[in-house]
Amino acid sequence: MAFKYYLKSAASSFVRNGIMTVASFITVTCCLFLFGVFMLFTINMNSITTQIEEQCELIARIDIEADEQTQQSIYNTILTLDNVTDAHFETKEQAFENFKNELGDDAGALEGLEAENFLRSSVKITLTDIRKTDATIKELEKITGIAEVENHRDIVNKVIGFTSAVKKGSIAAMIVLLMIAVFIIQNTIKLSVFAREKEIHIMKFVGATDHFIRTPFVIEGIMIGLLGFIASFLVIVFGYNSAIGAIADLINLFDFVPLEQCILPLGISMLAFGVFMGALGSAWSIKKHLKV
Amino acid sequence: MIKFKGVTVVYDKDIIGLDNVSFKIEDGEFVFLVGKTGAGKSSAIKLLTGEIKPTSGEVIVDGIYVNSLKRSKIPYLRRAQGVVFQDFRLLPNKTVYENVAFAMEIIGKKKKEIARKVPKILELVGLADRANNYPNEISGGEQQRVSIARALVNSPSLIIADEPTGNLDVETSTEVMNLFNEINKMGTTIVMVTHSEKIVNDMRKRVIQLENGVIVRDEEEGVYNLGV
Repeated sequence: MAFKYYLKSAASSFVRNGIMTVASFITVTCCLFLFGVFMLFTINMNSITTQIEEQCELIARIDIEADEQTQQSIYNTILTLDNVTDAHFETKEQAFENFKNELGDDAGALEGLEAENFLRSSVKITLTDIRKTDATIKELEKITGIAEVENHRDIVNKVIGFTSAVKKGSIAAMIVLLMIAVFIIQNTIKLSVFAREKEIHIMKFVGATDHFIRTPFVIEGIMIGLLGFIASFLVIVFGYNSAIGAIADLINLFDFVPLEQCILPLGISMLAFGVFMGALGSAWSIKKHLKV
Repeated sequence: MIKFKGVTVVYDKDIIGLDNVSFKIEDGEFVFLVGKTGAGKSSAIKLLTGEIKPTSGEVIVDGIYVNSLKRSKIPYLRRAQGVVFQDFRLLPNKTVYENVAFAMEIIGKKKKEIARKVPKILELVGLADRANNYPNEISGGEQQRVSIARALVNSPSLIIADEPTGNLDVETSTEVMNLFNEINKMGTTIVMVTHSEKIVNDMRKRVIQLENGVIVRDEEEGVYNLGV
């Protein structure tokens, strides 16, 4: 019976508050939409960082004088290193072929140079942990027969730095959004509280518990949060594929995370965020009125 | 039983509500609290309902120490009380029946019990034929009867009435007071704050007079006489 009363009471306030309910709903929807966008951005940035890390190999160039046996020994030594997941040996002949292929139509410029191949044999190395790149480079440089080690550490550092800054920015933005949404919901629920001040007063004197009085207002706040969640989630679900399609048309360097992969964590987080905002805003607005 | 033992209430800015007040009200008594505005009547009422706690001294209502009562337990103290206000405090969007039933609903009483008890209480206060009317469709006296019915419906052992006839004409006031008298005869303790000389003098019940937070008179079958 109490639950029926809570729902009925919450629903009637929800309708009675009219414009304020709509204003709260729009604010919560915008906040949750931005929250969802930030979350998807973070998910994709994490994925892109991983992709960059995976693409970022070290290349150990072998001395031009090293014979085949030395080259094999270098390759074997590299494979034994802790931070090495995989290594791929490339002879200088293969390197020349690859270079020719990369040049495409301009490959003619290399004609006649096969005999005096200026390229070195090399080993392409995939690392287990990109953060240990510097240590691995030092270990590689200690191996006799390795002339130089190429790496793209700078790019990786920049990407990691950017991702981390974006994550921090997203968290800060989410906190601000949460505060705004809670403030707006709080004011909407305050209207309900004012409209029912007399009723609350009577309830207090008849012996209703704080919990009994508070619950309908909290439900009203949660209803606003839920509606905001539904609207913002639908916009994100239907807009995501078009958005990543448009971005991919501009920069086709990375694979974006497909919606199916992130829909569940995204939905749960947005729902929790919406419900939390609604409940918190309502609980705050009723607090003062319970002290009778 | 109600017991005030050396009760002092001091509000902010050192305003004294009650100053070392002691009295006892036995079960089933009818007591008028009289005195000028600011004499301490409201403080005494607020102590009974647990709205405030004494600065010092002890307040015991039906065996409950109000001093040490946790906030979460106050509703249970109030469930044993019925409060009647001067301005009736009825919900305008609810019918007479719903206003009374509301007091039972919010403490979780079952629908069956509500349907059984509310008509009986409305009968008792003489409003059986007004059950489906809204407060704005009935007279002031009838509204106060609804408020009394609401206070009674949970079978309280104590009814606290804060100037219940303050908004009513003489004739209606008498009717309402007769109702309180009937309720008191059924065994319910009644503590009533009033400024009505006529009512106090007609009823000749126990009168506790407060002045500047101190009891200046406590007499059985007393009269209003504030000594002005």
